[in-house]
Amino acid sequence: MGKSIVITSGKGGVGKTTSSANIGTALALMGKRVCLVDLDIGLRNLDVVLGLDNRIIFDIVDVVEGRAKLAQALIKDKRFDDLLYLLPAAQNTDKTALTEDQAKAIVDELKKEFDYVLIDCPAGIEQGFLNAIAGADAAIIVTTPEISAVRDADRVVGLLEKNPLKEESHLIINRIRGHMMADGEAMDVDEITHHLGVPLLGIVLDDDEVIATSNRGEPIVLESENPAGRGYRDIARRLEGETVPLMKIQQPKTSFWSKISHWFSRG
Amino acid sequence: MQAVVLRGNQDGYQLVLDQAASFKEIKETLRELLDNLAADSNATNQISFDVLSNQRLLTAEQNQQLEQIFSEFDHFQIHKVIPDVITIEDAIHLKEQDNVHLATQTIRNGQTLEMKGDVLYLGLINEGGRLLTTGNIYVMGTVLGILQAGYPSGEDKVVIGDLQHAQQIRIGEQISIVETDQPSKGSQTVAYVNDLHVLEYGQLSDLKTINPKIYHRMGG
Repeated sequence: MGKSIVITSGKGGVGKTTSSANIGTALALMGKRVCLVDLDIGLRNLDVVLGLDNRIIFDIVDVVEGRAKLAQALIKDKRFDDLLYLLPAAQNTDKTALTEDQAKAIVDELKKEFDYVLIDCPAGIEQGFLNAIAGADAAIIVTTPEISAVRDADRVVGLLEKNPLKEESHLIINRIRGHMMADGEAMDVDEITHHLGVPLLGIVLDDDEVIATSNRGEPIVLESENPAGRGYRDIARRLEGETVPLMKIQQPKTSFWSKISHWFSRG
Repeated sequence: MQAVVLRGNQDGYQLVLDQAASFKEIKETLRELLDNLAADSNATNQISFDVLSNQRLLTAEQNQQLEQIFSEFDHFQIHKVIPDVITIEDAIHLKEQDNVHLATQTIRNGQTLEMKGDVLYLGLINEGGRLLTTGNIYVMGTVLGILQAGYPSGEDKVVIGDLQHAQQIRIGEQISIVETDQPSKGSQTVAYVNDLHVLEYGQLSDLKTINPKIYHRMGG
C-alpha cells in the first residue's frame, strides 16, 4: 500500500505543479513507482510540464463518469520505464465535476498499485482544494519567501489543522534567491519555518533553468548539476526517510575583477 | 378510395394508407381487410407487408396500434412502415450530413467545437483545443490541438491537411498521437483508418486507393 501526498499552497504561482513533477520524477529516479494526479480540473498544467500533453486520451473526469477505466486514463512516462505515471485532469469542465468521495476513491485505488501518489492541488481553498486533500495521507505545503505566499500558506496550514490528515504536513520553500535572503530583503528560511510552525522538508533555489526545462517538458531534477534539481532530489530522499542536510544557500560569487569594476562604477 | 388498399408487386405485399382518411377509419378498414385475407388464404407461412403511409408520419403510438392489429393474425406481420415525408428535424440533419461546413473560429485550450457533417477548417486550434465532427475534416488553418473526424464511430472518414503540428488525430474510435506517429510534412497529408482498424497517414495523391468514395465525391 503506497502513500498519498497532496502538494498544495493556497496561493497560485508558487510552484505546486513544478514541485509535483520534480518530486515525482526524483522518486521515480530512486526506483519508486509514482503516480502523479492532476486535480487542477479546467486549468491542467502538470501534463505540459512533464511533456505528456499530446498523449492525453482520457482524464480523471472520464474515469469518474465511467467513460474510461482508471488504467486507460493513466499515461506512462516512457523516460522512466514503468515507474512514473500521470492521471491528467479534465480540461473542458471545472472543479465541481468531481466530489471529495470520488477523488478519494481514485486515490485509494491508485495507492494499491503505486509507492507514491502525488496529488497536484489547484490554487485556492474551494472545491478543488477539498477534493485534493480528501484522499491524501500527508500534505506538502509549497511557499516562496514572499509575504503573500507565506500568508496563504498559513491559511492552508490552518485548514489542514482543522481537518488533520493521517500524517504531519511538511513545508517546501521554493524560489529562494540567495542574495535577497543575505541582504535581508526576503524572509529567510528559519523565519518562514518558524512562522508557519511546519517542519521543513526542503528548499529549492530559484533558477532560470527551471523555467527553461519546464518549457521543454523535462523536469529540472534530470539536470544533475542544477542546484534547483538537487533541492528536489534532496526532498525526495527525505521523503524516503534519509537524513540529508539542508543545502547551503550560496551567494552568487563575485570575482575579484568584478568587485574592482564595481568600485569604479560607483564613483 | 378506400382507407387501406392492398397492392402486390414483385417485392411482396404493400398496404397503402389513404392520407385523407382518419386513423380510426384506417384501423377499422385494415382489420376488415386482414380478416378477409385470413379467411381467403390458407397460407401457413408468414406474410410481411410494407405499409406505405404516404404523406402521413405515424406517431410511435399509432405504429403500436398497427402492430397490435397485425398481432391478432397468426401469419401476418409488418415488414416496415414507409412514409413519403420526413420531419424538418430529420431534414436538417440530412442536409447537415451532406454539406461541407465552414469553420473559422479560434479553438483555444479546453474548448471543443462540435459540428455535424464535413468541415472545412480555416481557423486556429491551439494546444488543448478540439474540433469534433461526424464527417470528414479538411484543414487549411493551423492545427496545434486535436482533430476528431467520424465522431463517435465512423471509421470511413478522413482528415486531410497539414497535420504535423497537431497533438492527436482521431477518426472514429482510433487515435493517433502525432508526436509518436510522425505524419509527413506538407498540407497534403491524409489520415485514415485502414483495413486493420489502425489510423494511418497517406498522401492526397493516393486518396483514390485510400478512400474511393470520398475521392469520387470530391469529383476526382
